[in-house]
Amino acid sequence: MKENSADEFDSLFAKEKPKSKGRKYIVLLIILVFLALTSIYAFLSVSAVRDQMGLALARAEATPAVNSELFPQLKEKAWLESRLKMAALDSVGLAIDLEQHVIQLELKGVVVMSSKIRDCSVSGFFRKIDGGAYFATFGSPLTIKEFKSSIAKNPFKVVEAPKDTIAAQLAADAAAKKEKEERKTENVFWTVKLDRGFDLDIQGIDSIAEAQKKYVFGKGFEFERDLKNITNSFQHILKFSKPTYTPEILISIPENEAKAILRALPKNSALITIKI
Amino acid sequence: MIRNFFIYLAVIVIGALFFASMVLFAIPALQDSTVALVGLSSGSGGSGGEGDKATIENEVGKLQKQLEAYTPTNGYMVVNTSDNHFYLYKGRQLLREGICSTGKNEKLVSAERKYEHIFYTPFGVRKVLRKSPNPVWKKPDWAYIEDGLPIPGPNDPSRWETGTLGAYKLEIGDGYMIHGTIYKRRMGMSVTHGCIRLLDDDLEAVYKTMEVGSKVYIY
Repeated sequence: MKENSADEFDSLFAKEKPKSKGRKYIVLLIILVFLALTSIYAFLSVSAVRDQMGLALARAEATPAVNSELFPQLKEKAWLESRLKMAALDSVGLAIDLEQHVIQLELKGVVVMSSKIRDCSVSGFFRKIDGGAYFATFGSPLTIKEFKSSIAKNPFKVVEAPKDTIAAQLAADAAAKKEKEERKTENVFWTVKLDRGFDLDIQGIDSIAEAQKKYVFGKGFEFERDLKNITNSFQHILKFSKPTYTPEILISIPENEAKAILRALPKNSALITIKI
Repeated sequence: MIRNFFIYLAVIVIGALFFASMVLFAIPALQDSTVALVGLSSGSGGSGGEGDKATIENEVGKLQKQLEAYTPTNGYMVVNTSDNHFYLYKGRQLLREGICSTGKNEKLVSAERKYEHIFYTPFGVRKVLRKSPNPVWKKPDWAYIEDGLPIPGPNDPSRWETGTLGAYKLEIGDGYMIHGTIYKRRMGMSVTHGCIRLLDDDLEAVYKTMEVGSKVYIY
């Protein structure tokens, strides 16, 4: 009887090898696709930022050259001029001084509410702009183009008149109770689009622990906003198009004040003055 | 073979996670850093004709004074309708603060009586037009509709109520007033028909500090 050699024994498994190699190549290809998409998306994202800065620089061309030594004084002057422009109007305006960490509501030049900013984060875009681009962006009041908020901006309810005095008393008690309960559970977060291509986000935070407790994953305004951003990102990846880049200023202040500011600002063309 | 399958799957999952984390966290962080803007400058550093330091500082001083001039030197009041809180000032000095009640932002509708009325406290600057102690309230139609009562004639004696508005009233135009209340347990809530309700001691302080012409800033 002929004995099997070692080669013949190995040949029993030889047929499996090409399949395994094929899978290996597919996996490698998938990884390469991921890497390529990441690189392309990173490149497009950075280009979008640079385009945005290009726009700011183009706006700056219309303003006179700025002496960098006088920049702090000119910035203070622009800040005051801008607040005076807001004071000339009859509606409430918002003044944000990120240097002093103060946010205040102003009505006819009078500070009606002032709050210390608890935390703030500013896109690198703003840290990079100075001189002409700064004044082109912050040299005059900015106008709010759009509001989005986790709570109603101007809550208004329609109530049917009660039929008799008992129904009237019950309705009044229920309304007062409801208002108290709503206050406890409100999570205040609002964002506005400004006319010079960036967003201002205001977050109401009384304590970080409380804010985390109120955030429910899968629900609410913040989740919807994040989900929309993610969806947009993936749409741009699939189309190989430049993602839209919107620089942001995120400010955290006490919840009551975040709500008061949101409700006080007029719905149409509210003005904001910012000093960075 | 099964082991290989899991190894490949793990590699793909790790790749996908890497991709997702780059897209969701790393690339946005890169966008928000100044690294993305390396090589771009906003071109300051010129010696434009904006004047010298002393001139600008002088202008800043003037602007500051201009802005400060907006703040009244006599008594004035600030009302926060969102928090139902008021602040009484004289110049830049805060004299008193406390809770108040403001408009409930409600539209009362009675289809049966073909009637509707909107209750809210208007935002903006108002002036004290008149002020008086021991006010008497002439109940308007909505007060009856809201209470589920029949509306009496325009000069019916039942319309006149004393005590409901507290010890004082300050009229601020369009029928809106600053006054007291008998509904003390609802203070600090948005429950009024547009007027600003204060507690007795606060109302007295406001009445004594605010003159006719004093401003009320409502937001």
